[in-house]
Amino acid sequence: MTNAVKKIGVVGINVIMFIVSLSCIFPLIWMLYSSLKTEQEFNLNIMSLPSKPQFQNYIDAFEIGKMGTYFWNSAFVSLLTVVFTILFGFFTAYVIARFKFPFRNAIYFMFLAGMLIPIHGLLIPIFVEFKTLALLDQPYTLVFPYVAFHLSMAIFLFENFIKSVPLDVEEAACIDGSSPTNTVLRIVFPLCLPVISTAIILFFLGAWNEFPFALVLIKSANLQTLPIGLTNFNGQYTSNYTQMLAAMAIVALPVVIVYLIFAKRVMQGMTAGAVKG
Amino acid sequence: MNESSAIRPRRTTFLIYLLPSVILFAFMVIVPVLLAVRYSFFKWSGGSKMDFIGLDNYRVLLTDSYFWNAFLNNLLIVFCSVIGQIGIAFAISIFLMSKIVKLKGFHRTVIFVPVILSSVVIGFLWGMIYNQDAGMLNWLLRTLGLESWIKPWLDDPNIVMYSVTAPIVWQYIGFYLIIFLAAMQSINSEIYEMAELDGATGFKKMRHITLPLLSSTIKIAIMLCIAGNMKAFDSIFVMTGGGPGSSSTVMAQYAYDTSFKAYKLGYGSAISVGIMILSVALIIVSRLIGGKSRD
Repeated sequence: MTNAVKKIGVVGINVIMFIVSLSCIFPLIWMLYSSLKTEQEFNLNIMSLPSKPQFQNYIDAFEIGKMGTYFWNSAFVSLLTVVFTILFGFFTAYVIARFKFPFRNAIYFMFLAGMLIPIHGLLIPIFVEFKTLALLDQPYTLVFPYVAFHLSMAIFLFENFIKSVPLDVEEAACIDGSSPTNTVLRIVFPLCLPVISTAIILFFLGAWNEFPFALVLIKSANLQTLPIGLTNFNGQYTSNYTQMLAAMAIVALPVVIVYLIFAKRVMQGMTAGAVKG
Repeated sequence: MNESSAIRPRRTTFLIYLLPSVILFAFMVIVPVLLAVRYSFFKWSGGSKMDFIGLDNYRVLLTDSYFWNAFLNNLLIVFCSVIGQIGIAFAISIFLMSKIVKLKGFHRTVIFVPVILSSVVIGFLWGMIYNQDAGMLNWLLRTLGLESWIKPWLDDPNIVMYSVTAPIVWQYIGFYLIIFLAAMQSINSEIYEMAELDGATGFKKMRHITLPLLSSTIKIAIMLCIAGNMKAFDSIFVMTGGGPGSSSTVMAQYAYDTSFKAYKLGYGSAISVGIMILSVALIIVSRLIGGKSRD
């Protein structure tokens, strides 16, 4: 290959890569800058930058579209999901990693199999189950399925990690008189912080973005989460694109900000199951 | 596993560690699977009246053209995703591993952005991209002078499945890219250096070193791709709601419509069982095919 041909190839591949990257990010950038335009300005030219950026669409989305209520509902459900998944998952993974007990393998296998069960098949039976138990339409309703669906991944990640933590420290602590729970919380848990922070991001994103269970299990508008709020918003204000874009930005921005700060960890977290498996 | 009596908690403490997860998981996953099977034997609209009808729901399901059409739609998404997501991600990961591409970190970070976004946002965003008058896609075609290509992307039953599949493929390329990059980085660089000494060029290195060493990763990726796309729902629900007619209805959408719009919870449960069986079957088939090609 001559040098000239090689150079064209190098430039070509770099250009292709930029086009790919641009196609991944441009719709998001377009959403953000278009949400700052007025409706008239948007209708005149859908691609132009806002001549005078204004935040009226966001104010409307919060005031008319009740995005504030949905936002706090999402934050509440996501927070509880993260806390309980980590808490339950960590202690269960700990006993599975450290001790022999009856049905140990069966329990571990049950959780791992949970990763392969298509959870959409559970939508209807869980709806019926919750209806029977009067668990529909409560502030904490969604926390049950969200924690349960993330437990498999939590136990899988934590069990793997705890096995790699040497036992000596725990034994020494116990011989010095530390109670088992104290030892787990004060010594094992801090050692597992890298994998726990990965898990926090993974479960937060999962709960924040979840749609079908939130759609089926919550009916009252005061308790709905952001993705459902967005579909309500669209139904009521179909023609107002810029308000809709602002509402979408409200759903997307927290996630994008988390991602920009913790990009490496987010990528690690989202692909953790596949890379380790 | 080490067995150390010093750190073993007392029986009660032990059960407190173990049981919350097990009970919650049983209550949210195991019991619902069994319930779905039970309800599938009844004609039931959600009220107190439940008629046991044995296997009738399954008899209907086997010849229900709407269900099988929805299954074919899922298969189309799976097929396009295996080719599109895994193929494109693999190609990009090779570019990003080579020395000639600049700003690798930037590309990696940016291509992963759609993965973290809510599929509902993606659905609305692409709904706007496809919009007839105010859509970015038709604007682009007009700007490029390709007016004849302009189509009612989400309203034409013949092309709507491809239109709704494109965002799904687009959204998860970054996911498989990161998986492949992680796997490629774990390949010992000495193998490549030795191959280079033997005169192997870029394509040959890819074909004879990267591809074989990545075969298990590719198999996992294909499995995830199948499992992920059998449950496709959110973005299609938002873009078309399964329409026009039932042309973009996928299995999850059909189960939802049957149960919560037509209030046929018994039949909806039979559809759910069908979804679970078909998904697991497809994953097993893909494993069997993948297992064979290794020998």
